Amino acid sequence: MVTILISRMRSPFSLKQEFLKKWILGLQRCRSSKKNMSIFERKKVIKLSADVAVASARKGITCWSRALIADAVKEGNADKHLAEKILGPASERQPTEKVPVGAMAYNKRIRSKKIPKRGSVIRRTIKCAPQAARPSSIVKRLVGKRRQILRSLIPGGEFMNGVSLIEETLDYIISLRAQVDVMRSLASASKLVNLN
Amino acid sequence: MDIGEKDKYELGKRDEHNNINYQAPVLSTDWQFGGANLTSAGMSLVPTTNPLAIGSSCASASLVDSFGSSLWEHPSNSQNMGFCDISVQNGASSSNAMEIGKGLPNSLRTSIDRPFDMGWNAASAMLKGGIFLPNTTGILAQTLSQLPADSAFIERAARFSSFNGGNFCDMVNSFGVPEPMGLYARGVGLMQGPDDIFAVNGMKSVSVMESQKSKLDATEATRDAGLRVENRAKTSPLENERKSESLMQPNEEVKQGTGGSGNESDEAEISSRDGGQDELSTLDGTGGEPSAKGLSSKKRKKSIQDAEIDRAKGGQTSTKTAKDSPENQQKQSMMINKTTGKQGSPASRPPKEEYIHVRARRGQATNSHSLAERVNFVRREKISERMKFLQDLVPGCSKVTGKAVMLDEIINYVQSLQRQVEFLSMKLATVNPRLDFSIEALLAKDIIQSRAGPSSTLGFSPDLSMGYPPLHPSQPGLVQAPLPVIGNSSDVIHRALSSQLTSMTGGLKEPNQHSNAWEDELHNVVQMNYGTSAPSDSLDVNGPRPSSNRKVEL
Repeated sequence: MVTILISRMRSPFSLKQEFLKKWILGLQRCRSSKKNMSIFERKKVIKLSADVAVASARKGITCWSRALIADAVKEGNADKHLAEKILGPASERQPTEKVPVGAMAYNKRIRSKKIPKRGSVIRRTIKCAPQAARPSSIVKRLVGKRRQILRSLIPGGEFMNGVSLIEETLDYIISLRAQVDVMRSLASASKLVNLN
Repeated sequence: MDIGEKDKYELGKRDEHNNINYQAPVLSTDWQFGGANLTSAGMSLVPTTNPLAIGSSCASASLVDSFGSSLWEHPSNSQNMGFCDISVQNGASSSNAMEIGKGLPNSLRTSIDRPFDMGWNAASAMLKGGIFLPNTTGILAQTLSQLPADSAFIERAARFSSFNGGNFCDMVNSFGVPEPMGLYARGVGLMQGPDDIFAVNGMKSVSVMESQKSKLDATEATRDAGLRVENRAKTSPLENERKSESLMQPNEEVKQGTGGSGNESDEAEISSRDGGQDELSTLDGTGGEPSAKGLSSKKRKKSIQDAEIDRAKGGQTSTKTAKDSPENQQKQSMMINKTTGKQGSPASRPPKEEYIHVRARRGQATNSHSLAERVNFVRREKISERMKFLQDLVPGCSKVTGKAVMLDEIINYVQSLQRQVEFLSMKLATVNPRLDFSIEALLAKDIIQSRAGPSSTLGFSPDLSMGYPPLHPSQPGLVQAPLPVIGNSSDVIHRALSSQLTSMTGGLKEPNQHSNAWEDELHNVVQMNYGTSAPSDSLDVNGPRPSSNRKVEL
């Protein structure tokens, strides 16, 4: 997977291109569903299609991308039909190269864990308990808390251990950045179109 | 519209801050590269000699040169990992790195020379004078003392790269030869003298495969090696004494690091230096093998790589027995092999299994506790390695040390990125009532392409942590206006936009064939869209964009 990381970082442009293409395709698939969607529905569609596009750009190599798509088409998901429409017919779906057991379990698991607000966890001062007097244990606890938060942030993060967590985070950050850049450029393009 | 621009401005501010922050790691690491390159430059470059050529001073010079250049290649790659789409100030380096990446599969020397020069130019171009000057005036020992730091980074990149198979394997292979040899020469010169270089080079053919794994080796092995190096520094030959002197300093650090606490930075330093001397450890392993064979207790999970290593070492031991063994007999060196997926070994390895091979050398207790400690150590070191990559990626993370703070920053960054996605999707939803982004997609593609240059379309300002965007557009005031024929308007817009963009940006051009192919594909998408919808619906002209009361934390 590190190969992908490094090669991808060397050509972010292709990543963005692919993402944009997939995104537009997915949006097109959703267009005809309703005539008058409210703005929030549109936003949902846009975001969902963008997320699915970014995740599918990974072609199933990274855990978070698989988890994201799996979450989108999960049974309990309200927008499952939307996600499935975006993904297209099953024949078009990217074959996932590696489907670890964790992802399968993730499908079945109901994601009931609420994402804790970061402020509520980090800013809470650590009570100076006697057993935490040693700095190493304090540091370990701090780091552990943050790891937990990171796991909650990254889709499918609950399954990752230390090293893979950081690798997935790396990949996720890259993809997020590409996504943001593409969306931003699309927004500016829209603005320019509207200017004329 | 103004509000929309302001929002974009603020988003762009963050981007620019990212750019600014990215510069800092570029500078710092390039400073190190400059040192390494200077080292190689200091030694007489032998551009045409085969790295495998033997001749003591020549070998050391060329090896160090290759080491220096490989230093450059590795970090530039990993640097560009961090600067993936922000090539504002890094245009030079990214272009260099791309050429480096392309050049590597070619002949070793040409590829090494070219990025070497480019690296030198890029380093000097990108560095401000003040930072770079101390290096240029640096004494050889001083520059060499920076080598461990460089090798730290290199090792990180090397290990990162060597963890994978795939297309990066070739790169690793191609300079897998010069780099370990370079590193090896450094250590070897200290320990054994030029005739050992012969042995090393003789073994090189066998250990090319192993060099990949050997990169992963030896945290403690080189720690011991460092100490041993210290002991044997006196016996080193003259031409290597410079290296020995400079390495004395890092070895001092190694010693302190060894004796010191389990500070993460120390560990990383040691591990990286150890990785830097990975061939050293390999040789130690081989040297230790004959004498240690009867005594060492090996405990490892078998893998094909290990078998190869053993065979290689078995072949080497016969040659090694003639030379002095660098082994400090009471020292035990441990080789930790972490083998992951497709390392280029034969296919019989299951592609996804990860083994942590921990082999205990002679003299060390092989109880499970110490082995577990070592395994933990490896894992922690890998984690810290990855964290360093993250450090390059996340803006503002280069200054902070310590896992907790860095994780904090990472969490902050991920959350802000996710919020940005939310905000942008809402923004796009307000712009376009019908989810029709065909025209915009074409333009966006152009924007993406031209954004490879300096990103000047958006305003710049210091970092901005976005609050969660509570977008409440007052009213989507969308005005539908009849528009002329779509094809014409799109062309007009296209041209207007292109002219605007080219005037603003001077970005570096992606390969045209690639973009053209993609452009065709997108055109097909757009055409498909046109085919399905009536022309008058496709373009909706919006009125002034609804103001969004977005809370912005400054």
